[in-house]
Amino acid sequence: MVRISRVMLKEAGNAIDKTLSEILVCPLSKQPLRFCEKTKSLVSDTIGVSFPIKDGIPCLVPKDGKILDEDADASKAS
Amino acid sequence: MRRINSVYGRVEILKRVLEKPTKQSHAFSASRSFSTEGAYGGGGESQQNSSRVKIFDRDLKRVHRDRAAWLSRNKNDTFVDAVAENLLDRLEDCKKTFPSALCLGGSLGAVQRLLRGRGGIEKLIMMDTSHDMIKSCRDAQDDNSIETSYLVGDEEFLPIKESSVDLIISSLGLHWTNDLPGSMIQCKLALKPDGLFLAAILGGETLKELRIACTLAHMEREGGISPRLSPLAQVRDAGNLLTRAGFSLPGVDVDEYVVKYKSALDLIEHLRAMGETNALLQRNKAKFSIFLSRIFSVLTTIYDSMFATEDGTIPATFQVIYMTGWKEHSSHPQAKRRGSATVSFTDIHKQFGGQS
Repeated sequence: MVRISRVMLKEAGNAIDKTLSEILVCPLSKQPLRFCEKTKSLVSDTIGVSFPIKDGIPCLVPKDGKILDEDADASKAS
Repeated sequence: MRRINSVYGRVEILKRVLEKPTKQSHAFSASRSFSTEGAYGGGGESQQNSSRVKIFDRDLKRVHRDRAAWLSRNKNDTFVDAVAENLLDRLEDCKKTFPSALCLGGSLGAVQRLLRGRGGIEKLIMMDTSHDMIKSCRDAQDDNSIETSYLVGDEEFLPIKESSVDLIISSLGLHWTNDLPGSMIQCKLALKPDGLFLAAILGGETLKELRIACTLAHMEREGGISPRLSPLAQVRDAGNLLTRAGFSLPGVDVDEYVVKYKSALDLIEHLRAMGETNALLQRNKAKFSIFLSRIFSVLTTIYDSMFATEDGTIPATFQVIYMTGWKEHSSHPQAKRRGSATVSFTDIHKQFGGQS
């Protein structure tokens, strides 16, 4: 029970830990990431890729990154 | 498939950005050097990945690790625990404490479980390429005194800012990277000055019995050989890797573990539970199950006849190479400049009475 509430607490707040948000950067360009509220993902503006956050865990493997189109329709699943 | 290439292709845009003189340009050029093949900065190649040799299929490795997370969920593996224990023991040999630590994939669960507050770690970040593995680590977390964060990432593309962690531990994870020097360079960049890098990788002698038995069984049944064991580092290479990555005070030592199994099938089950099964790009991609059943009986016979011990168990060797390196800091002893000696050998000779 405690475990479930811990996960929910993470999702409710900033969706990623404060520790992680301080040290995470884009795996390809090494530039800081921006948390996008709309898609609940981490966006790397320099190269225009968004990385998903599954279950409160950011997935920063380059293969998981979705390329953002210019009109920012990143919520399209593919 | 298109998506994969394009994400790496986004780095092309990064290179164009680099040409514009911005005030961050020197920060950019520092980060260019983290890949040893010069793929990110050199000469404007359009396909930067073609210069890197791909030996391992990283996507297959993720799948293996997902399966391993499921297979090893209830049992504690003595071999993996022994390696993790050895690695973590080295923390007690250091006077320094490491408030923030990063744990790279491999046997994450063992490191987390056996840490027990050594090294003064307050913040632990666990990273692995497999999502399931990270989830099972999070579920198994029973020690809340250390603030643990979880992250899915690739060791070859480390998503960690420069100079941000005090300690990086990797227990049996780095021998599956395609570009080991590049990964180590990225680890070095992620470390704070006077930070420690501890890694354990499998060495060249690992599973030599299995390698011999597989080759013989293959030749007998199929008439050819397909690579079944990954190319593994030699001890002499480990030292070179550490110096090439730029670590100061490098240290390498080797340990050999012989694990005994009741049968060859147990060995393969163990390898699967550790996520160490074949992921070479060159592997024989024919239907593995049919293939395995054909050579399997020959494999077990050869293994038993060549390597079995008196009590009927079969041994398998695991050679583990432990590497330690520190990120340079002013407090580290440095070699003196040539020609700066203040005492000559003749003086020392005279001092000690000229015994020869």
